[in-house]
Amino acid sequence: MRHPYLIYAGKRLAQAVAVILLTYLFTFVVVSILPGDPVTNVLRDPQNGFSEEQIQAIIAAQGLDRPLLIQLWTSLTHFLSGDFGLSMRSSRPVATLIAEALPSTLTLASAGLAVALGLAFAVAYGTQFLPGRIGSALRAFPSLFLSVPNFVIGLALIHVFGFQLGLFRVIEPDSAWATLSAAIALGIPISAQIAEVLIANLDHEARQDYAAVARSRGLSPARLFGKHLLKPSSLPVVTVIALTVGELLGGSLVTEAVFGRNGIGSLVQRSAAAQDLPVLQAVVALAALVFVLVNLAADLVYPLLDPRLKLVGNPERRPETADEATPSSLRTVAG
Amino acid sequence: MAPPDGLTVISQGNPPLLRVEDLSVSYGRQPVVSDVGFEIGRAGSLALIGESGSGKSTIARAVLRLLPRTGRATGRVAFEGREVLGLPERRFRPLRGRAIGFVPQDPGNALNPVRTVGAQGEEAAALLDEPNRARRTALILETFAAVGLDDPRRVYDSYPHQLSGGMLQRVLIGLAILPQPALLVADEPTSALDVTVQKRILDLLSRLREERGIGLLLITHDLAIAAEWADALVVLKDGAVQEAGRTATVFASPASAYARKLHADVPSLNPDRYAASRDVGFRRREADASPKIAVSAVTKTFRVDGRITTAVDGVSFAVPTGTTHALVGESGSGKTTTIRLLLGLEAPDAGSIRVAGHEVAGRTHEALRGVRRQLQLVYQNPFTSLDPTWSVEALVREPLDRYGIGTRAERAEQVRAVLADVGLKAHLLPRRPDALSGGQRQRVAIARALVLKPDVIVLDEPTSALDVSVQADIVEVLLSLQAALGLTYVFVSHDLALVRQLAHSVSVMHRGRIVEGGTVADIFDNPRHAYTAALLDAVPSGIAGRARRAPRTGTGEPLVA
Repeated sequence: MRHPYLIYAGKRLAQAVAVILLTYLFTFVVVSILPGDPVTNVLRDPQNGFSEEQIQAIIAAQGLDRPLLIQLWTSLTHFLSGDFGLSMRSSRPVATLIAEALPSTLTLASAGLAVALGLAFAVAYGTQFLPGRIGSALRAFPSLFLSVPNFVIGLALIHVFGFQLGLFRVIEPDSAWATLSAAIALGIPISAQIAEVLIANLDHEARQDYAAVARSRGLSPARLFGKHLLKPSSLPVVTVIALTVGELLGGSLVTEAVFGRNGIGSLVQRSAAAQDLPVLQAVVALAALVFVLVNLAADLVYPLLDPRLKLVGNPERRPETADEATPSSLRTVAG
Repeated sequence: MAPPDGLTVISQGNPPLLRVEDLSVSYGRQPVVSDVGFEIGRAGSLALIGESGSGKSTIARAVLRLLPRTGRATGRVAFEGREVLGLPERRFRPLRGRAIGFVPQDPGNALNPVRTVGAQGEEAAALLDEPNRARRTALILETFAAVGLDDPRRVYDSYPHQLSGGMLQRVLIGLAILPQPALLVADEPTSALDVTVQKRILDLLSRLREERGIGLLLITHDLAIAAEWADALVVLKDGAVQEAGRTATVFASPASAYARKLHADVPSLNPDRYAASRDVGFRRREADASPKIAVSAVTKTFRVDGRITTAVDGVSFAVPTGTTHALVGESGSGKTTTIRLLLGLEAPDAGSIRVAGHEVAGRTHEALRGVRRQLQLVYQNPFTSLDPTWSVEALVREPLDRYGIGTRAERAEQVRAVLADVGLKAHLLPRRPDALSGGQRQRVAIARALVLKPDVIVLDEPTSALDVSVQADIVEVLLSLQAALGLTYVFVSHDLALVRQLAHSVSVMHRGRIVEGGTVADIFDNPRHAYTAALLDAVPSGIAGRARRAPRTGTGEPLVA
């Protein structure tokens, strides 16, 4: 990999770390400022039957009476070493709870994203190269997909695949067919957003001179799509993917509920009901982490997709000089 | 000459390379080309000439079968005797590249920006019967060298944005000729390029035609170019043939009114067309000793990629009141930086710039406000310089609003007056730029510059985005305004023929320096510097057969006799 790219990647990485730390700080401050301390709420609950001395002892043992800055430091160092404390509901380590729930959600989310991408690219290809009516009919798909909520799609899929066709048993939500159905339910609305951007960009790129010139070199439609149009059209798709990660996670929670999967979604649901603050805080931190990582990945992919993006320094200056590009412009880092 | 009812087919045994008959093209219900016919022989050349909207590019696209989806072509297009218009795409595809090559108009957009030149070259090379990839790559590099690219390997590894327009056009020609087609369709192959590059590219096409026997269908708006580089001409207007025939005949004695108008509008063929209005400036020049603009020893350097580039190097010139001074040179010669300095948009590193006695150099933005009012700019491209969401009235009134001049009613009155000055009718006031033609847009841009009643207008290639006839129109407006109002123009252009028609004095710029300066007559009749001579030589003169390209017989022949 080229040297300037490494510098660029390093800078982006440092920014990502800074964003994660700031997010953590922000959540911490917000939780401290909010009235109604959930810890003492739980401890003071008459059902738990703690005496005032016991409460004070617990608070002291947890370090909750110390200055905020020290609390922040302790919680941050624990956070960085993967220690998120104990769940208040089940008294098990938060890290363990998340580790149990995460694989299911990650599987669902990545399968959902894969379905979304596959569907979006297939629809987009069809709009460009399928003859007349079929191509135009496909253009209606994104808005159709977008207007159906994913739990409806999920219920329909359960009905068809689970009950009618019997491909999976609804009491085994982690089986392959069940996971696929959940991924389709999750992926369809997201594929609509990706397809919409992709179709618009393909339309734009297909109108460019270079597409006509490439066709004049005898390229087949499939090669024109794969070699010429796809890459420049994919740049905005990367942005959309980065933005839909939140939806992917949020959608996962709903889809998990519909399909009865045990993932982060059900964990959040249970923890929110029980005001289980350590778990919720860890999930928020986790979501922030995922967001930052995905956006980092997007930033790292952009320059690979478009060599014109300049990584560092001055904006790219296209050499306009008559017949000679100046040597310096040929050494610009983007290439 | 009448459109083709009596077609005289010149048959010479073999079928011609390309024969187009009764070609009509429509977009939806809108007909854009009707009943066009012509014929090109082996290694022959024919030029389709016309303005924007004349249908010349549409014809080229119809021959290449690259019309947009809404386009419908009827008629007959026969390539080497074989009808191709009705062929299914699958059967036409083998002809693409191998039989018919395409050189597009704007080299900057004709290569995929996110793929290397080499990757796109390999697509052209794949059309050759050469199974060995290394050999194919070697052929690409050879072709790049043959079209005059100095460092083929570097070009191969580059992305399009890393190459200049001239280099890209060479690449595109190289890729088009690599599969050894019999016909090359070149759609305005040089309109985006400087004159000297234009000449080199056209020379190259002509040489390839001779050496490799490639037939050429050249599409251009410039009669001088067509006459100089093609054996036969077809003049088009509104999608119909106005006149067609051998270049020598059509050029020397155009029969149709339209061809005569085209001829009259080409600046290089009519250097003294506007002599009457321009002589006013010459008289002012003799009478008035005090210059309106005095630029002396101005230098400006930029730091690009950590290296210092001197964009403008010790430039001096003076412009007498009420005259036009032209800055000519190719892209990168420092013209644009010079006018940015003059307009106070950049501060010079050294030297002084005085406009109407006020020092411009080194003044702050606020201090320049008063000077700016006297100093207006008309941009190069009226298609991008006007906000498409504004009405003509708002566009022209904006400067008055900015300077808070007059009451509402007075401003409206001034807007009407200035539009009348540039020859636009009041019914255009509520229109938006999209609803205007290129010439009307540029008039709006001039009106906008004029509405503050400035002394000086800087014209940055004001006609380079416009058709020849529209260009003539704008030149006329500019000259009559100057004669009437005593305006001083600084005119930036790479088109020397236009400069000769419009300007009184000239500075020739090359690599940031003024290599030569003087009156138009001094520079054009006695160029002392080799660069000036090269620029002048590159101007297409329309003189067919610069010796080595003596017209051939039976090479290109329009069907209409």
